[in-house]
Parts: sequence; structure tokens; C-alpha cells
Amino acid sequence: MKLRRYYPLIPIYLLYLTLFLIGFHVRGLWQPMALLAFYAALGQAFNIFLGMTGYVDFGYVAFLGLGSYGMALAVSSLYRVEWLGGGIIVIGLLLGLAMAALLSTAVGGIALRLRGAYFAIATIGVNEGFKYLVTGARLWGGSEGIIISGDLREAFGVEVANSLATFWADTLLFIIAALAALVTLHYMQSKIGYALTALREDEEAARVMGVNTTKYKIIAFITSAAFAGLIGASGWALKMTYVFPEDVFEITYTVEAIVIVLLGGAGTLLGPLVGGIIYGVLKYWLAVLAPGLQLLILAPIILLIIVALPQGIIGVLKERVRGTALERVIV
Amino acid sequence: MALLKLEGVTKRFGGLTAVDRVSLEIESGEALGIVGPNGSGKTTLYNIISGVYRPEEGRVLFEGRDITGLPPYRRTQLGIGRTFQIPRPFSSATVRENVAIGAMFGTLGGKIGVGEALELADHYLELVGLQALKDKASGSLTPVEKKLMELARALAMKPKLLLLDEAMAGMPPKDIDRLVGLLKRVKEEEGIAIISMVEHIMRAVAGFAERVIVLHQGKKFLEAPTAEALSDPRVVEIYLGRPAEVGDASG
Repeated sequence: MKLRRYYPLIPIYLLYLTLFLIGFHVRGLWQPMALLAFYAALGQAFNIFLGMTGYVDFGYVAFLGLGSYGMALAVSSLYRVEWLGGGIIVIGLLLGLAMAALLSTAVGGIALRLRGAYFAIATIGVNEGFKYLVTGARLWGGSEGIIISGDLREAFGVEVANSLATFWADTLLFIIAALAALVTLHYMQSKIGYALTALREDEEAARVMGVNTTKYKIIAFITSAAFAGLIGASGWALKMTYVFPEDVFEITYTVEAIVIVLLGGAGTLLGPLVGGIIYGVLKYWLAVLAPGLQLLILAPIILLIIVALPQGIIGVLKERVRGTALERVIV
Repeated sequence: MALLKLEGVTKRFGGLTAVDRVSLEIESGEALGIVGPNGSGKTTLYNIISGVYRPEEGRVLFEGRDITGLPPYRRTQLGIGRTFQIPRPFSSATVRENVAIGAMFGTLGGKIGVGEALELADHYLELVGLQALKDKASGSLTPVEKKLMELARALAMKPKLLLLDEAMAGMPPKDIDRLVGLLKRVKEEEGIAIISMVEHIMRAVAGFAERVIVLHQGKKFLEAPTAEALSDPRVVEIYLGRPAEVGDASG
């Protein structure tokens, strides 16, 4: 087993470890680090689709939302089953993943036969549509959502329930982000990655070269959605211990995900992590300096970076290290 | 059984008939030239064969099988390879990766892995003489280098039929001769049928194709052995703009 192919993961895992350790050991920094982990994970997951195919999914947050519901539904239905123990959380994660993957299969199967811009337009309705489905049809509690704080306390006792929401949910985000990076690298080095590069650069030429573009777009889409499901399940439902449709189907997160991927460098491995960290830091810092105005001030800052650095930070860095030893590691 | 057979293929764009009831056949290992100025329907014909366009009338048969409705990527997997008149590299990928993509998704499709595809890419890059540039970003190549890369990429697909679209346009005569020699070798060694499409009857086609089809306004104007077509006064007048002289084929 050639270990060299995993070198690109070194800076990534080191960064994640550093963030985790800072949050763990420095008083008061756990929440900020958790925020960075959330944005890094979000970026890493979204990059698998946006970065690798070049397609924009404006309904992406729906997968996070479904992931949250997966966790909430699992906990609220199973909390009385004693022998499951911590398995409830695992089931919650898997259910969140499955629900997101299912929606993405349905949406992707139809919408990904469309090219570029048409696909983007088609996805705008997905998130809003789902939100109104849940509230209108009173699905899963309708607009009142699902609250699982009580269920968690009953199933695990107050102390464990607390640590689940305030520590384990966030730690899971680090793990999910690390996993997303691994999967991204695996795709990049396999036929899937080459197919995605080809269709991203020139979809028609790729089809003539023998690439079944629809198939590979769907693979990237489902993978990206599955990770979003995991992030929603842990970073939202488990952490907040409640799920409201108005919160989890909020389009702002889709926009943030797009910005993070582009800022860091779409299609790169390190990019989303760097983008997530920078965006998270800026957002948190601005929230302290000028609360309520974060998004307003943030947008022009990021627009500036995107106009000046279209390849993203890592995209530019990759050009600089081409031909040097760092090339193997900045991917 | 012919490798490729077009039966009365017609393609219309609104009121314009770009290809008008064209029929042709090519056998395994044959070299065919298609000649005609811009607007004669050459590129449209190629797009019909490779599956980018669907004809309004007629059928496309490959190895006896009706592929008229098949999408482009399926045809590639069956063995139809193609270059583009204006090269379409996957710019952010290296030269080597570009050619490897051809290998990965061509007729060898499911049977080779990424590593083997990269090795195959090296082989074809050496064949066309680009091995020194293999790690360069393909977007930064010169136009002639891009054309050579297109060719290597198409060959790496291990096609049974290769459609060359003005593959030698813009190249100095020495390079054209070398490339023609290369194509002849590849044709014999790998048994590929090659259709070479050019705007004028040039040294590229004259020394290479056994037979030539002349297209004019979407219709098949003439089909004949190359030497005959070269000396046919009607063809010469249309495409050379003046009566032919001895020595035109090699000039």
C-alpha cells in the first residue's frame, strides 16, 4: 500500500488536530473551534460536488436539514429503547445520511441530466419546496419541529446528554470533516476524479472522450449530500438538541458553503478547510465587533477576495509550489 | 461487414440542410479522406458519427449495429475516437493526465486502472513526440502542441475508428509528413480505420488516404480513389480555384 498517495492529508489532519487541541485545552475556545470545524466540514462536503463538478446546487442546505431530521427522528422515536444505548446516536447519524442521500438521488437523477446553469436553477426550488412541505403538510412536527433535549436526558441521564450536545456533537464534526477529506482525496486519485475534472473543464468534450457525465455527476452529488446529512445530524440536531424547519432549511448556509469553497479554492483538497477557517474566523470576529452586521460586512470582503483570487487561496498556492517538493502536499 | 456505414444521413438546422442524404462506408483498417470547404457539412457529419447530433433521417451503423440513438460516450466505448478541429484540452489537467483520460474512458474502459492509463499515456506521448511536456498544464501549450496532444489522447482511447478533424491544419509541412507517417504506422500496427477531414486536398490526404469523398453544400459530390479525385477538373476547380497541375499532390 503506497503511503505516498496519502501525503496530501497530512497538512489537513494536522490542522484539524491543532484546532481540536486548541479548543480542548484553551478555556472558552471550544465553541469558536467548533464553529470552524462546522464550516470546514461544510466546505469539505460541498467541495465534493461544487468544486469537483463545477455545478452549483442552490438547494444544498436541504441535505443538512434532512440530516438534522434524521437524528431528531431517531432520538425521539428510540430514546426509550434502553439496550440501544449510544447506538441511538449512531442510528441518528446513519438515518440522517440515508435521508439526505435519498433526496439527492431523487433530485440528482432528474436534475443532473441538465447542464450547468439549468441545473442550478432547478435546484433553487428544492430547499424551499422541502421547507414548505414540512411546515405545510405538518410533517415531522411541522413548523413546531422536534425537540430532543428531554429525550436525550431520559435516555442517557443529564450529564451524558449534556456532554453529547456540548462536546461529542462538535467532536463528530471534526471526524466527519476528516472523513470527507479522505473521500475527496480518494476520488481525486481514482477514475472518478479524472472523469469529474474532464466534465468540469469541458462537459461536451468529456462526453465525446467516453465519460458518462451524468453518472459521475450523480456520484459526486450523492456523496456530497451524504456528508451534509452527517453534518446536519451532529452539528445541528445533536448539538442544538432541537430541529425547526425555519432554521435547518435556511438558504444562507448554502451561500456560505459556496463562498467557503470558492474562497479556499474549488476542487482542491486543502481549499475548503482553509476557506472554512478563514470564513469562520471572520464571521466570529465580526460578530463580536459588530453584532448583527456579520453577513452585511462579510459579503464585500469575500467578493473582493473572489474577484482578485478566482482560483481561491489554495488554487493560487498550488501554482506557486508547482515543481517544488511541496507540490505533493498542497493539493 | 463495413466498420462504419452511414445510410442516407440528413441533418437540418431549421431551414438549413447541413448534411443532405449522405451515405458512406469504411472498412476496418482503411484510410478515407473527406474534403470540402467550410459550410460543406464536414463537421456536422463528424458530429453525427460521434453522436453529438442526431440526424433527422438516415442511420449510423457501427460494426453492423444501429448506433443512431446512442449517446457520444457509448460510441467512444464501442470504438469511435475523435479529435476536434479546435483542440479541446482539459486545461487544468497536465498533458499526461489529458491523454490518460482518453485511455481510461475509451475502449479499454473497465479494464485498466489509473496507473496503467498513465503509462499508456506516456507511450502515446512518446509516439507523437510530446513526452518532454507531459507534466505541463495542457492549457499552456502552443496550438500545434495542443493538436498533437489531441491526437495522442484520441489514440490512447484505442479506437477502432479514428475521426481526425483538420488534425494537421496549421502545421509546417515537415510535421505533416511526420504525422502522416505516424498515422500510417498506427493504422497498420493497430488496425485502426482513419477518416481524415481536411478543407483542401493537401499532402496530408494525398499521401495517406486511399479514397476520398468530396462534400459540397452538404451533399456527397464525388467519391473516388485519391489520385482520380485529385485530377478531376471539377473538384480541382472548386477547391484549388484553378485547373490542376502535375505535382499538386506533393506540393
